Amino acid sequence: MSRPVVIAIVDDDLAVREALCELLEVEGMAALGFERAVAFLDRAGEFDCVISDVRMPGMDGLELQRRLRACGSAIPMIFVTSLADETACARALRDGATAWFAKPVANVALLGALRVALGSTGRGA
Amino acid sequence: MEPLSRQEEAADGADPELSSALLPRIGDIAHAGMDEETSAWSVFDISGARGLIVRIAAGEVPGDWKRALLDAVRVVDVDDNALRALGPIGGRRRMIGAPVTAYWPAESWPALAELILAELADIPGAARTRKIISSVFNDATVNISTDPAHPDLVFVSVGGGVTDKRSLWSLRASEERYRTLIHHLPWALVLVDSTAMLPIFDALRAAGVTDVGAYLDANPDLPFESRAIVRVTDANRNAVELFGAGSADRLVGPVDYLFAASPDTAKRVITAHFDGRRNLTEIMKLRTFDGQLRDVQLSITYPTPPERLDVTLLMFEDVTERLQTEVQLRQLQEEYARAARIATLGELASSIAHEVNQPLAAIAMNAETSLRWLARDEPNLAKVEQLTKRIADSARHASEIVQRIRGMAGRHVPNRTALDLNRVVEEALMFVCHDIEARGIQLGVKLDIALPRVLGDRVQLQQVVVNLLVNSLQAMAGRPQSQIEITTGRDGFGGVRLSVRDNGPGIAAGDLHRVFEGFFTTKQDGMGIGLAVCQSILAAHGGGISAANQAQGGALFQVTLPPISG
Repeated sequence: MSRPVVIAIVDDDLAVREALCELLEVEGMAALGFERAVAFLDRAGEFDCVISDVRMPGMDGLELQRRLRACGSAIPMIFVTSLADETACARALRDGATAWFAKPVANVALLGALRVALGSTGRGA
Repeated sequence: MEPLSRQEEAADGADPELSSALLPRIGDIAHAGMDEETSAWSVFDISGARGLIVRIAAGEVPGDWKRALLDAVRVVDVDDNALRALGPIGGRRRMIGAPVTAYWPAESWPALAELILAELADIPGAARTRKIISSVFNDATVNISTDPAHPDLVFVSVGGGVTDKRSLWSLRASEERYRTLIHHLPWALVLVDSTAMLPIFDALRAAGVTDVGAYLDANPDLPFESRAIVRVTDANRNAVELFGAGSADRLVGPVDYLFAASPDTAKRVITAHFDGRRNLTEIMKLRTFDGQLRDVQLSITYPTPPERLDVTLLMFEDVTERLQTEVQLRQLQEEYARAARIATLGELASSIAHEVNQPLAAIAMNAETSLRWLARDEPNLAKVEQLTKRIADSARHASEIVQRIRGMAGRHVPNRTALDLNRVVEEALMFVCHDIEARGIQLGVKLDIALPRVLGDRVQLQQVVVNLLVNSLQAMAGRPQSQIEITTGRDGFGGVRLSVRDNGPGIAAGDLHRVFEGFFTTKQDGMGIGLAVCQSILAAHGGGISAANQAQGGALFQVTLPPISG
């Protein structure tokens, strides 16, 4: 029996983290929140996908993406951010991010992107 | 009668020459009905006038013999009373040897000359004591005597109530100066005779009233009654102009017109008088004779005891224009400060958007998630309840953020309250912390939790903190390992100090003295009003702001605020 899909949420804002976790839970997925990108980085291998903010204290989302790729991780990444920065968005997508959403994101859109991300790893929800 | 020599010893600046043989002689002269408190003694040398006296006694009377006689008679000595009554500035030394006419009041020259003649020519039946008209003495009596042991001397005493202890001449000069001064002072001056209040005050004290303020509250008619009996006795030309009265005559009379527009001031004026205060100053409204309402600063000088003889001086300075200008200036300053706040908010727009977006994102997701739970065949109401509570929390949070932004951006009437500066720092950080984080700047916040409160305007002080932080983070754009540290603490003078230091490029030495100037900026798109506004905000708070470079590099801005007084 395959293990359930587990998603990591990286966002320094507690309310956002909790809301994302709840959304995934109602969709039957397990989710775990991380306040800091660096904390997630150590455990990246345990997750099927990561939904990350871009602007965060310490390591930001783009740096997280770079580090993941640098250490050979192929974990799908979805960015959910308030940052209206087209350059950053383009760079993230170029470097393999599945999607880039501006907050607040519609659940349907986020879940859709999540399905795409998980499909790419053969772990479709 | 006490010998005069004792009085001399006691007198300030007594002339040592006066311990001459003459003084006991003066002291020995007795005059019925005169005591030393009200008599003034002089010793004159008549040797220079002897020839004239002989001629007059022989029937050869020159036309102006009285003046000629007194010109020839010299002052040998005077006692303190005479010195005070007649003496010039410079004292006894200047009188001795001078002609009598130099000091003796002209209105009684004839009487004095006739007395001297009567005594020396020994005119039978002629009086040796006479009443004279005097501006120095009330009810004055002059007595003249001689002593066979000193044939060239006459001893003159003047008895009666001394009307003024000052010398006649300095009195005249000072009254003239006073009149000129009052007339030409650049303020409106009104002289008031408030002696009518004294019996009222006496009666109130006798009735046990100590707090006349409370009494006036309970008896509101007294101010009106006293305004009718206390009278303006004189007014200068500026007062005439201020009141639009046309002539001083219209100002003379009951004082009620002075307080027509400020009845509460009348109450405080009476209270201060009752309490024995020397003066009172306040801003009041004044209704002029031509119906205008002016703002004036009233300064009252109450009489010194014995006040039955003195006047109450009321000075009015028209501050209408000044107050209007001050109001306009405050409005301008606030507009300027607001412009600076809005400019800063503009620079922080993405940071603020992020701050507002976070709770909105959480709300939107939680609402949709709730709907999904509700849409199930068996709705999970516990989950929905939990999510709804979170929605409410996030909404409250978002609302607080919007309030703060509105506070910074909106029109703002400065309002001082007792503030915890640490809280101000935390609120200010909300505006900038995301910008700081986004730029990878390490922020150190060290707040002294035992900080005394300061009296300040929350929004303005937030503005100062935000401004300093924005300046720091902009100065460090693109620099690696950037750090900003914000600290609060005591300043060593009972007040508080806030410091913002960074490890950026610092301030160019040549710019250090200019950073607080308006429209000085080193930023490409800066307006250069941020720090100028900070400085004016702190000046208005009685505090200060300074800029410096740290020895190890980077800028250091320090803000001080005074302790809450009282």
